[in-house]
Amino acid sequence: MRRSLAAVLVVLRKELSDALRDRRTLATVVVSSVLMGPLVLLAISGLVASLESRAEQREVYVAGIANAPTLRNFLERQTYIVKEAPADFEARLRRSTFSDPVVVVPADFEAALVRGDSPVVEIVSDSANQRSEASTTRIERLLGGFSRERALLSLALRGVSAQLLEPMQIEDRDLASTQTRATRITGMLPYFVMMAVLYGALNAALDTTAGERERGSLEPLLMNPAERWALVAGKWGAVACVSMLIAVLSCLSFLPGQWVLRSDTLAAMFQYGPREAALFIVILLPLAAALAAVLMAVAIRCRTFKEAQATSTVVVLAVSLLPLVNVFDLGGEAPWHLWAPALAQNTLMTRVLKGEALGAEQVVIPLTVCLALTALGVWYVARELQRAAVK
Amino acid sequence: MIEIRSVAKSFAAPAPPRRATWAGRGSGERGPAAGADAIDGADAARTPAREPRVHAVRDVSLDAPDGRITGLLGPNGAGKTTTLRMLAALIAPDAGTMRVDGIDVVARPREVLARTGFLSDSRGLYPRLTARENIVYYGALHGMEREAADARAQDLARMFDMTALLDRRAAGFSQGERMKTALARALVHDPANIVLDEPTNGLDVLATRALRESLRWLRTPEGGSKCIVFSTHIMQEVERLCDSVVVVARGRTVATGAVAELLAETGESDFEEAFVKLAFGPERAIAHDKNEHRVEPPRGGGAPP
Repeated sequence: MRRSLAAVLVVLRKELSDALRDRRTLATVVVSSVLMGPLVLLAISGLVASLESRAEQREVYVAGIANAPTLRNFLERQTYIVKEAPADFEARLRRSTFSDPVVVVPADFEAALVRGDSPVVEIVSDSANQRSEASTTRIERLLGGFSRERALLSLALRGVSAQLLEPMQIEDRDLASTQTRATRITGMLPYFVMMAVLYGALNAALDTTAGERERGSLEPLLMNPAERWALVAGKWGAVACVSMLIAVLSCLSFLPGQWVLRSDTLAAMFQYGPREAALFIVILLPLAAALAAVLMAVAIRCRTFKEAQATSTVVVLAVSLLPLVNVFDLGGEAPWHLWAPALAQNTLMTRVLKGEALGAEQVVIPLTVCLALTALGVWYVARELQRAAVK
Repeated sequence: MIEIRSVAKSFAAPAPPRRATWAGRGSGERGPAAGADAIDGADAARTPAREPRVHAVRDVSLDAPDGRITGLLGPNGAGKTTTLRMLAALIAPDAGTMRVDGIDVVARPREVLARTGFLSDSRGLYPRLTARENIVYYGALHGMEREAADARAQDLARMFDMTALLDRRAAGFSQGERMKTALARALVHDPANIVLDEPTNGLDVLATRALRESLRWLRTPEGGSKCIVFSTHIMQEVERLCDSVVVVARGRTVATGAVAELLAETGESDFEEAFVKLAFGPERAIAHDKNEHRVEPPRGGGAPP
């Protein structure tokens, strides 16, 4: 037994130094996975900042404002700057080169208003043009204010109480905390971290199994007196270590990432400090271990690295698609989410970002699933190793 | 000391639609049935699943004493590699026994592996490790201390004239350099028994000579009186190096003895001729003769005259 444990360490040490010497692959993984998250964070913050600055600008684009002096008067009293919309605004909105909704005023607006004919005012935006869509609600509210003001004035002239118009009052009460609201934007961060873990494990897992087979070094390896399970455990340990290293790097990469957030609101909402980073790491380590074992199990039957890459696409797809259940919020959080690897980790990390506490059940179930997957994967590789060596 | 008694091994033949797997085989890699001579049709009818079997090894026996070099000579596909893989406990034999220094291979494989150095058919190195690291890694897997393994790597490097290679990464090694490193790796734990599967494959004349010298030295009492088994399909190798020869063909041991004894047995003066006679039967040897001396091709499918 002691001899076997020594063999595990020997294999672990060799595989680790082997994997860490594969500089080009490591560099690719680090750049594509670890830097990806902070870069996306930066992009999001840029978007939010531009939305915020637009909200602060208090500008409104109107086509045909000359037809509506009353409306212009109202808008200017609300301290809005009224701008004439460009002639080809529809085409530009469609192409996403124009990012504000446009209010279209009909030619007989003023006359119809006086007659009490309620003229139709259009707010033109393109729902595929997200930035124009974001401002639509603001403009709607603004124009609603104009309608209300006109109505109140008419009622007041007739001596009717304004309260008749509002038999009940509606008030919004948002239960979401600042952090919860932020996850609508930062909700994809766990996804990026998880991809980093996956790609960290992928290359090393394939190299120690299918790669070893392709090089013709698996057969000589098995001619050593070390136990099969010890060889596999060492290999798995090395792959898991590499993957965990990438996981840790990726989680920590968001710490400096938030200093460069351009939007103050987002920076205030995005609570990601050392505590969150530590929780992320704790959540991800079992997943890294499980992914290492599963990828090795998938690759051990493949003759070449290339074949293994093709086969492992199934695992990559599963890990990429499962968290989308969460991202797209399909049917909310369901109990089974905790039993699905990748999805469970995504759920837990989202909870951490929301600032919610993790219950015992939420920690134990995904951990058990990951441990079971790891054991199964390592067992399978150990079983197949000998067959793979001579085939 | 290595004793192999009447081992046999058959594999399920690959199903016809899977013939495409040929394309997937890398260079130097062999399937388990690489030594197969024919698919046994009679067996196919008997097995309930109607699965045709490939008999890679039918009846191979071999005795290799200490301090001697025993050649395992056979044509391509005779079953040499499969036999040696069974000896290395990589595949279990269907029948027969194998003992190394009196230890049964099937029952106690790890003890056998601990006292044997195998240079297998596939001899891949780790390209990102140096030659030294490749060798020391195997030493460590044999339970050696790092320092001891390192010192041993140094000694082996001197023996195989590869000291300059030791601290270079294996990625750019030539065929001969790879072979030397693989051999040093197989011998790192100073095993009493050495099993080499076609070690001269891909080596040039000088490298082959150097290898021969090393093996001769390992056979001597100063070299440790090793028991060396050496598989090859090259007659000259056997003539120059082996104390005794085991000829295998179509999965069976067809002759055993020193080169001189085999020559006497077949009544030939040329060892190649003797080998063809032993491995393929007298018909083939004579048919070959006919082709050489007659103008007309023989009729009747090479029947004896």
